[in-house]
Amino acid sequence: MSEPLALVTTGLSKSYRTGHIIQGRRPALQDLDLEVRTGEIFGYVGPNGSGKTTTLKLLTGLLKPDRGDARVLGEPLASRAWRFRAGYLPEHPYLYDYLTAAEYLDYAGRLFGLAASVRRERTRSLLALVGLERSADLPLRRFSKGMVQRAGLAQALVNDPELVILDEPMSGLDPIGRRLVRDIILGLRKAGKTVFFSTHILSDAEALCDRVAVLRAGRLLKVGALGDLLRIDVEHMEIFVSGVAPDAPGLGAMRRERVGDRLRIEVEERELGRAVAAVEAAGGRVLSVQPVRQTLEDYFFREMGAATGGAAAWGEG
Amino acid sequence: MTRGLAVLLLLLVPVVPWSQGQIDRRAGAFRPQEEVLYLWSGRQVKRLFPGFEALAADIYWLRTVQYFGGQRRFAAGKRFDLLLPLVEITTTLDPRLEIAYRYGAIFLSEPVPLGAGRPREGVEVLAAGTRNLPGSWRLRQDLAFFHYIYLKDPQRAAAILLEATEIPGAAFWLRTLAADLLAKGGDRATSRRMWSQMYEQGEAGVIRENAKFRLQILDSLDAADHLAGLVAEFERRRGRRPARLAELREAGLSGVPLVDLAGTPFGYDEKSGRVFISHESPMWRPE
Amino acid sequence: MSRLLAVAANTFRETVRERVLYNLVFFAILMTLSGLLLGQLSIRQDEKILKDIGLAAMDLFGVLIAVFMGTGLVSKEIERRSLYPLLAKPLTRGEFFLGKFAGLAFTLLVNLAVMTAGLYLTLLATGRRPDPGLLAAIYPILLGLLLVVAFAMLFSTVTSSAMAAVLTVGVAVAGRFTDVVRNMREVAPGTPPWLSEALYSLLPNFRNFDFKDRVAYGDAVGGDVLVWVTAYAVAWIGVVLGLGLASFRSRDFQ
Repeated sequence: MSEPLALVTTGLSKSYRTGHIIQGRRPALQDLDLEVRTGEIFGYVGPNGSGKTTTLKLLTGLLKPDRGDARVLGEPLASRAWRFRAGYLPEHPYLYDYLTAAEYLDYAGRLFGLAASVRRERTRSLLALVGLERSADLPLRRFSKGMVQRAGLAQALVNDPELVILDEPMSGLDPIGRRLVRDIILGLRKAGKTVFFSTHILSDAEALCDRVAVLRAGRLLKVGALGDLLRIDVEHMEIFVSGVAPDAPGLGAMRRERVGDRLRIEVEERELGRAVAAVEAAGGRVLSVQPVRQTLEDYFFREMGAATGGAAAWGEG
Repeated sequence: MTRGLAVLLLLLVPVVPWSQGQIDRRAGAFRPQEEVLYLWSGRQVKRLFPGFEALAADIYWLRTVQYFGGQRRFAAGKRFDLLLPLVEITTTLDPRLEIAYRYGAIFLSEPVPLGAGRPREGVEVLAAGTRNLPGSWRLRQDLAFFHYIYLKDPQRAAAILLEATEIPGAAFWLRTLAADLLAKGGDRATSRRMWSQMYEQGEAGVIRENAKFRLQILDSLDAADHLAGLVAEFERRRGRRPARLAELREAGLSGVPLVDLAGTPFGYDEKSGRVFISHESPMWRPE
Repeated sequence: MSRLLAVAANTFRETVRERVLYNLVFFAILMTLSGLLLGQLSIRQDEKILKDIGLAAMDLFGVLIAVFMGTGLVSKEIERRSLYPLLAKPLTRGEFFLGKFAGLAFTLLVNLAVMTAGLYLTLLATGRRPDPGLLAAIYPILLGLLLVVAFAMLFSTVTSSAMAAVLTVGVAVAGRFTDVVRNMREVAPGTPPWLSEALYSLLPNFRNFDFKDRVAYGDAVGGDVLVWVTAYAVAWIGVVLGLGLASFRSRDFQ
């Protein structure tokens, strides 16, 4: 059975009580209407405290909503039926440190009612998938943060779920780990699964997601395909050059940014020729030319109303 | 809370007092302090509670009072052989626990069923108290009273009272009481004064009620004497003694009820003309 | 049900791995020392002393385990958030809660069983008859421990593990002085009877589980008494666990 929508929320709201003597209410999430389509990778982004984790906890039953409803994999939120078909990785997962990774996965499998042979097989393959096969019999107490994170991802997949909910899946991972997780997520989509993950690292969302929802202060700001949210600015071009010092003459007032041993220069389209000439005159090489693409971060900061980056990132010539 | 859970809880709650009652009935609501017997003496117990002796004394004392006094006032089956060890342990743990000496002495001295009927031990306890608390005139006062009331030794009682008068803060009337004892060898009025003191000095509870009861016995004895006087008057008028006390009423001599303060009719011996508290009465005490 | 048993089995595994059962080592040492030392003392009393020490140690160690594991079971899981990945699975809160209780109950049973064997062995080794009557005191001790665990778990759902431990110890101690509460009118005669009765009913009466003195003297304990003690324990445990479960179910994990 396949639903067109893996996840639907309507008017989902939650507020927290604050204060001890005088109790106020702080709204953490307000009127969330969201749809996640089957088979897509859906990113849920927003600054810390914007309500991302609250949403995920509401979905997984750690919190009870004040108002609103949701349907997961076609079932009502309160039903247990969909939990057999979904997997969840919490933020900063804490797994029982007195168990080994294999034992934890086996325990998780038992909670799904999986047969012993299935549990054995899944444990083996999942640990291999997340790169922990050599640490299978190590107590989780001895795992590094990154290893625990990967073990957490493994336990989220033990039941071969149709929907995978991940809260900050990249946290605590080194670049190799991040690559691994990215590949796993892409692999899940390839297998027809739906992935719903929250992150505050925008580049991850950019790299993986089909669609993205942006959250701010508990409210949904915008939802859409990345291509729709971000624009391609056709009036400005960005050139990647090498072998040129940032303070080289002739580059004038163009914005420039050092990226590794290369320089990224932003020019208006009509100045493109002049810029290229200036670079070559200074002895450099033009590596690439393309229209400026707004990053999710740019979009974010614009929408959030904060200033773009820091002055240090951009050298004004 | 789900309805099922709420129902389950509601069903379980009354089981608690019900089963408690069943257990009390079978195993005894107040299981005796046998383990105390096992703990030899006060000195050994004291070694068990270094630094917490006062608290331990309080706990022992609470146990003692509850077991021997109060609602169990007239209960059967109290183990009086435990009383002296308990008092001894308590006062060893905390020699300055004045109330333990006073109460302990009463419980030991009063006749069964309230107390153990062992006044010598009660006096011993008070004597130990006066040694440990030489500044307490009350303990000496009690010791004197006990010598008089239970051991029937007014001379010794007077001597102790005089000692007590030396203590600063002692009540002024101790001296006159001592004088009375020496002069008359003690009488009902003296007893009355002693019991009145104990009544006034006691906090609400067993001691006070016991003193009150004792005073009522004295009142009843007075009433009996009064009736005996009326019997004599009857004899003078009619030339014979009444066959029953009720005749006094019929003769119009007595408007006074013919029962003691416990409501039991007085006993009357026609031959001797004596009116006395009946053996049936809870007020009866051996002479 | 199988999920509940899975939680219970894992809980037992936790207590084993967290070396809770090491207290048995101390118990064994205590028994051995007592057995050796008491051989020197007076002839009549030492068997009773040995039994008293054994039973008292079972009770004491048991209460300590019950308090510290019981509060750790739930509040530590909440504080460390280790139950987050678990609750998202088809495991219900009730299965988790009751599974934890079952696991710890089994741990206590094993603990007491080993201690019982140790006590009997010590008795045998010092030339005394192992007295089956001791079981009549050990079984109520187990019931009392289960009630302590239930309280520990209840308090864990509403407060931190440290506070829950304090409260549980408080209940365990106060519950041994319930006769003082019931007879408080002896020492505070102004107390209205309904108040002392109410307080008495609200506190669990742990003296109901205390047959140590009787058994050490060799007095028989009626089977009917044990039945009613069991009923009392089941009722109290049911109520406390029920309240704990309701509290755990309604809790938001912020």
